[in-house]
Amino acid sequence: MRRLYLLLGLLLLVLLLLPLVLDKYALGIFVMIFFYAYLGQSWNVLTGYTGHISLGHALYVGIGAYVSTFLAQKFGLSPWLGMLAGGLLATAVGLGLGFLGFRFGLRGVYFVILTISCAEIARLAVSHIDAVGSFSGIFLDFNPGFYNFQFRGNVPYYYISLGFMVLGSLAVHLLARSRTGRLMVAIREDEQAALALGVNSFKYSMTAIGISAFMTSLAGTFYANYVYYLSPNSMFGMGLSIDLILRPIIGGLGTVLGPIIGSFVLTPLSEVSRAYFAKGGLEGMHLVLYGVLAILVVLFMRQGILVYIKRALKPLLKLED
Amino acid sequence: MAKDKSAGEGLSRRAFLKTCGAAGLGAMAISFGVPTLLKAQPKPIKIGSIQPATGPLAVIGQGQRRGNQMAVDFINAKGGIKSLGGAKLELVLGDSETKSEVGRSEADRLIKDGAVVLVGAFESGTGMAVATLAEQRGLPFLVDVATLDDITQKGYKYTFRIFPTSTAFAQRGTDFIKEIMAAKKLSPKRAVVTYVGDAFGKTQGGFFIKHFKAANTGIEIVEEISYPLGIPDLSGEVAKIKAAKPDLLFPICRPGDSMILTRELYKQRVELMGIISPGSPGWYEPSVVRDLDKLALYVMDNVPWVNPSSPVYQEANKLFEEKYKAYLDTNTGWAYTGVLVIADALERAASIDPDKIVAAFKATNFKDHPMVGDAVQFAPNGDNKNATTAMVQVLPEADPLKRVKVVLPKKFAQAEFTFPAPQLWDRG
Repeated sequence: MRRLYLLLGLLLLVLLLLPLVLDKYALGIFVMIFFYAYLGQSWNVLTGYTGHISLGHALYVGIGAYVSTFLAQKFGLSPWLGMLAGGLLATAVGLGLGFLGFRFGLRGVYFVILTISCAEIARLAVSHIDAVGSFSGIFLDFNPGFYNFQFRGNVPYYYISLGFMVLGSLAVHLLARSRTGRLMVAIREDEQAALALGVNSFKYSMTAIGISAFMTSLAGTFYANYVYYLSPNSMFGMGLSIDLILRPIIGGLGTVLGPIIGSFVLTPLSEVSRAYFAKGGLEGMHLVLYGVLAILVVLFMRQGILVYIKRALKPLLKLED
Repeated sequence: MAKDKSAGEGLSRRAFLKTCGAAGLGAMAISFGVPTLLKAQPKPIKIGSIQPATGPLAVIGQGQRRGNQMAVDFINAKGGIKSLGGAKLELVLGDSETKSEVGRSEADRLIKDGAVVLVGAFESGTGMAVATLAEQRGLPFLVDVATLDDITQKGYKYTFRIFPTSTAFAQRGTDFIKEIMAAKKLSPKRAVVTYVGDAFGKTQGGFFIKHFKAANTGIEIVEEISYPLGIPDLSGEVAKIKAAKPDLLFPICRPGDSMILTRELYKQRVELMGIISPGSPGWYEPSVVRDLDKLALYVMDNVPWVNPSSPVYQEANKLFEEKYKAYLDTNTGWAYTGVLVIADALERAASIDPDKIVAAFKATNFKDHPMVGDAVQFAPNGDNKNATTAMVQVLPEADPLKRVKVVLPKKFAQAEFTFPAPQLWDRG
């Protein structure tokens, strides 16, 4: 295990030094890798560890993005603080949703439907609120500066998103090793057995969804100040909900490194193939390729890519299992 | 062994010297030859085109790419940018997938690949993301099509737009309606606005209603009806329209729902003086005109249309038809114009320095474009001061591809408008 940490430390060092050699576009790809890895990690807390499948996590991204942007535009509040406000609201919403789901014992597809419908309700509601731009969304002002969470070059975004990914993963790692984390896994593996052993399933499921919602919403603030445009469809829509779960699924569910590896595979794949097929006449080819890869991984690597990487590195890293 | 080795060394040394000499001569020849070659053929100037080539707007996005590309070919055929030694233009393609963050990333890639100007983005969200990126990177961005006002209201120095804003649409639409009623001495009292409930419909509808109400036309908007995009049936909505007893219908549609709406109006026999769209697709596309046939006749639409009498339009349209079997319409026409405006600025800037191009954009006075409206000139905020719309009407003509005609403003008109229109069921 010590060698694994050493390897991860080395990789982190390389990532920290990358902006010295990469151009803005390449840094932009890394920003998207870290962003999606972090989102996947946040989703992982709920679905990967407790097994409650959420297909509506865009809800929390949207809340984070809209709350911090709204507060910044209306009251001049720094998005760094707005981010926390968004996080709190997202947590409250997540807990509300979780209460409905877990209190009444919704499982499997029923919980999925609950998460989808809550995200859709939010999307439609936001689409009709004029204070946040209704259908046309919010166009952010560009005032570079640390206070405004806005920067000219890609380097600050690079380090912020890297920070998100590393700290998020660290938090999940600590959680996974804690008593709470182990109880969450017990719920995922067999809820009835866990209940029989006296595990308070409701309490730990609520903890998971609260943490997951909070973490997810922080990424929304980042997105808002990176892309400068928010619309109900892109922030609350099904597209984002699915995009953000693909990474952990491809990488490996319920593992700390899974979302990161998934993102390092999928994000560059979509960028590079899009650039490669950019010539006219092959429009959409990159999406086909992306879809085929996702299907292949799901078919042939059911536990995700991480398992295979671990197996390959086992002798080198002296891993236990 | 030793003999072999020395013999080998001797040989190789000789060969080595020979090779060196040859290589040296070659290198000299190249180093003298290449710059003259470069002088004769300056490096192409790259223009980055970011359009939604895949995703829900794919068909339109691919048309936009074609419009951009056609103009690039046109400029190159005429000898490229003369002030830069006849440098050719090269279009480098980016695909926004109709997603803002992808558009941003693609724009960054095109800049890395050497684009000196960006053009796009059809959809306003991506337009905003790219405009901010252009500001961050200090590179000029020309919006060929995108309506939402906000894009040019952020005080950006590097963003220019040739397309009319939502506000311009609403104002022009209202003015045309007044003009039509005054010309025919009609005074309708009641109108219904319908709009499709997506970002475009809601914004376009909202702006129009606001302006129309403020304009004191004497026409009251008695009902506003919104329905979701992709609705399969509008019988309920049309029943509401009928109950409101309007004289006029102002619909904002997408191609699918415009057909459902018209057929339902026919079925329920809703009496109207006419259908006038304040500016939306769904009424001028060849497929719509052909499929609705008589029912589509006399519909009016307020769009930034091509100028049929412009020689630039005639030339471009001929090429466009030959190459893509489609005609230049409001969107592809502006995509074409966008690259022409960029080429004009490059010609005057005589440089690919971003700030010199921006300065050239500011001094733009570009008349030779294929669209309705005067010369392209930019206001301080980057909007085209002379961007305008035309009122087009679908008029009876044997060939459905020739039915869409400009009727207002008079300066560009191809035909007189017919108003009030015969009722949908009174058309033989």
